[in-house]
Amino acid sequence: MESSRDQDIYKKIDAYVKGTLSNNEIDALWVEFAKDPELLDRLELEVSLKKILAEKIKTKKKPVTPKPLPTWIWHASAAATILIVAMVQLFRIETPTDLNEFIVNSIPTDQIEVADGLRSQEFGISSADSLLNLGFAAISSGDDEKALELFSKVISSYDEEPYASKAFLNRGIIHYNDGNYQASIENFEEAASRAADNRMIAEKAFWYLGNAYVNIGEFEKALTAVGEAYNRDGIFRKSAFVLYRKLSYDLGKVDLEDEEGTSSN
Amino acid sequence: MNYSNFVTAVQNDDQKSLKEHYEVLTKVLCKFLLVRMDAAPEDAKDSAQNAIMFAVEKIKTDELNHPDRIINYLFATAKHDYLKHQNKQKEVNYDQVPDSHSEEPDQLENLLTEERQSILERCFTELKAKQKSFISYWFDNPDSEASVVADHFGISINNAWTKKHRIIQVLNECFKKNINK
Repeated sequence: MESSRDQDIYKKIDAYVKGTLSNNEIDALWVEFAKDPELLDRLELEVSLKKILAEKIKTKKKPVTPKPLPTWIWHASAAATILIVAMVQLFRIETPTDLNEFIVNSIPTDQIEVADGLRSQEFGISSADSLLNLGFAAISSGDDEKALELFSKVISSYDEEPYASKAFLNRGIIHYNDGNYQASIENFEEAASRAADNRMIAEKAFWYLGNAYVNIGEFEKALTAVGEAYNRDGIFRKSAFVLYRKLSYDLGKVDLEDEEGTSSN
Repeated sequence: MNYSNFVTAVQNDDQKSLKEHYEVLTKVLCKFLLVRMDAAPEDAKDSAQNAIMFAVEKIKTDELNHPDRIINYLFATAKHDYLKHQNKQKEVNYDQVPDSHSEEPDQLENLLTEERQSILERCFTELKAKQKSFISYWFDNPDSEASVVADHFGISINNAWTKKHRIIQVLNECFKKNINK
């Protein structure tokens, strides 16, 4: 007999195959697959079965001749639709969303840039890499002051890429989490400009730069930074897009009525 | 998959255990990239292996040891590595953010192979008539809740789920028996 947790996962797999899971639920389900890879066999089986049955239907289906409905049903349907639309308009309440819902409150420590594992394995770890790793260890143990000192040392002693951009980014993260947004902005800007050839670092720097600008109310600058993050086409692309649109609306750069008009066309 | 054992294997450089873990992790990460990123199988394998190598390095330096963090790190790194390599191959326009952003739906059908399909088709024909009718109704009405299926067959919702689960189990057993032949 399966546990209720198993049953819950089977229901999630069923919903995934039917396409009714949200993105977050899909992510959570993949975590379950990573914990128990046999669940992937079940997913594959259900996907296969769905396809087999869909193909059977396709080959069976015959064209259906629709029966004409009496005219009064069409009139009644039209009247009901008008009534529903009128009621929806009447009771519609504007629910403005807070910009804070779209930004990062605190940047997780796994966003800290450390030595590149693959590179270090090939060439041996450099002193700058060691300092970055020590900085990460300091943050992990709650010693932000020490971490700032180590990242600053990377910048003063190894002012070259990719070390400096990583160190600036990491300093920006510490300042951001400390609520010191102005200092975080200076560091993120420096990281973004130095990492022009490193799309991953640049994307991260622009994304958090945009977030920092939102925190100090500089929305135009936030919009530009978030747009840059979006265009790096990385892991923040979706979040950047959502924040970009929200900022555009708030800044009056997108006319909601025009949008509605366009989307209904 | 026990991630604490994986951490121990990395720390003790236990090659036999590492090999077993690598195989399972590569399989999961490849499928993740095939489905969620619509990756080509060779690209998925490259990025899956890179992600595992990065994770191993982090485990060695004690930056990563909690199972949940390892899983999240592996998925995020595999995705990032894949995007990084894809981006290298395409022209990028840094000028504009478009008016709409479309997220590609998950490509679950990338998991399928012709061999698997034909085995399962055979297994399906071996089901009892009642089982066929139930599971066909279930998948033919993807928008319906389990309650609709339960109503249709005059059973409780719990029984509908149980019935579906049993049929999947029967198919799974038949499938495993045949794929190992």
